[in-house]
Amino acid sequence: MTREPDFRELIGDDLPEEERARLERIHRLLVAAGPPPELTPALAEPAAEFETPLFLPRRRTGAVLALAAALALAAFLGGFLAGRHGNQNFTTFKSLQMHGVGTARAASATIDLGTLDSEGNWPLKVDVRGLPRLPRNAYYEMFLTRHGKPAATCGTFVVNGKTGTVRLNAPYKLSQFDGWIVTLERPHSTGHPVVLST
Amino acid sequence: MHPMSANEASDGELIRRAGDGDRGAFEVLYHRYSRPVFGLALRRLGDRGRAEDAVQETFASIWRAARTYKPERGPGGPWLYAVARNAIVDRGRARTEPPVEAPEEASTEAGPLERAEASWTTWRLHRALEELSSNERSVIELAYWSGLSQSEVAEYLGIPLGTVKTRTRAALARLADVLEDELG
Repeated sequence: MTREPDFRELIGDDLPEEERARLERIHRLLVAAGPPPELTPALAEPAAEFETPLFLPRRRTGAVLALAAALALAAFLGGFLAGRHGNQNFTTFKSLQMHGVGTARAASATIDLGTLDSEGNWPLKVDVRGLPRLPRNAYYEMFLTRHGKPAATCGTFVVNGKTGTVRLNAPYKLSQFDGWIVTLERPHSTGHPVVLST
Repeated sequence: MHPMSANEASDGELIRRAGDGDRGAFEVLYHRYSRPVFGLALRRLGDRGRAEDAVQETFASIWRAARTYKPERGPGGPWLYAVARNAIVDRGRARTEPPVEAPEEASTEAGPLERAEASWTTWRLHRALEELSSNERSVIELAYWSGLSQSEVAEYLGIPLGTVKTRTRAALARLADVLEDELG
């Protein structure tokens, strides 16, 4: 359960009483209302055409409560605060390990999460190791997941050898998601095997 | 030619423009209200997939009905709320089980609108959050809904603690200004 913020800690003790009371009313409303939900990627922009309403396909059958989102955010950010380290052009805010899945059991990867930029992008530096050789015209794709299912893409990449470093980007609120996967994508193929997972 | 940009226009002005077929005005309305609509739908329907559908239906209704909006009958916010409530209630009627709604404070609004009216304050608050700058909004979200202390927020954002406190105060004051009418 996310703790309720301490109003005194938030605003200090030096405000005039009238202003303090005014802000405290907002504080109480914020606590009571809870967070507005983050829009799913599908709702990020209005549908292209409204004369004939376009309804979105149902993507999930289970309810995802706002409280769960807040808890996920708290857990996620708690991890971020564990440590920060950097290098010349990329400041790593948090590193995450991925392990190989299925036929790529021997593979692994490290996701270095950069610092959130002012536009809302999380830069990613992904070091992959031991991935299978890619079939002709195939590529890898990284996704953020919810409940183990791909929910938002962070981009595609190829690696020539068994190891490589690629730069990707996650333009999302990471609190909406609960993991990362990398899939093997082939043109005209309906299969999207997962090769790496957090 | 419009005397002010869509981003600066009132809700009512944007609805009027949308009624004239101004897609840009409609998109500004969408970005102002999509999260409050989604939040209202989630509380009423309790299911993310159904709530997504309800958001689509709501904005389709707004696009179709904008021409009927009469500014002299009231500001745009309550009109949008009524359209959203109707779209969400229509979707909820398809359910066989009772709709799920998180407990929340009683609305200050009087009248027979019951459950939907009880969401009015939350709706207005979520709408008001869209008025904050991204810096102000970040400190509010982290302080209220991530469980971080002010020191942790400062560390997370990489800014001094004093800046966090300044932004928090400014954000609360801004929300109070926007919500002054509702708070009385």
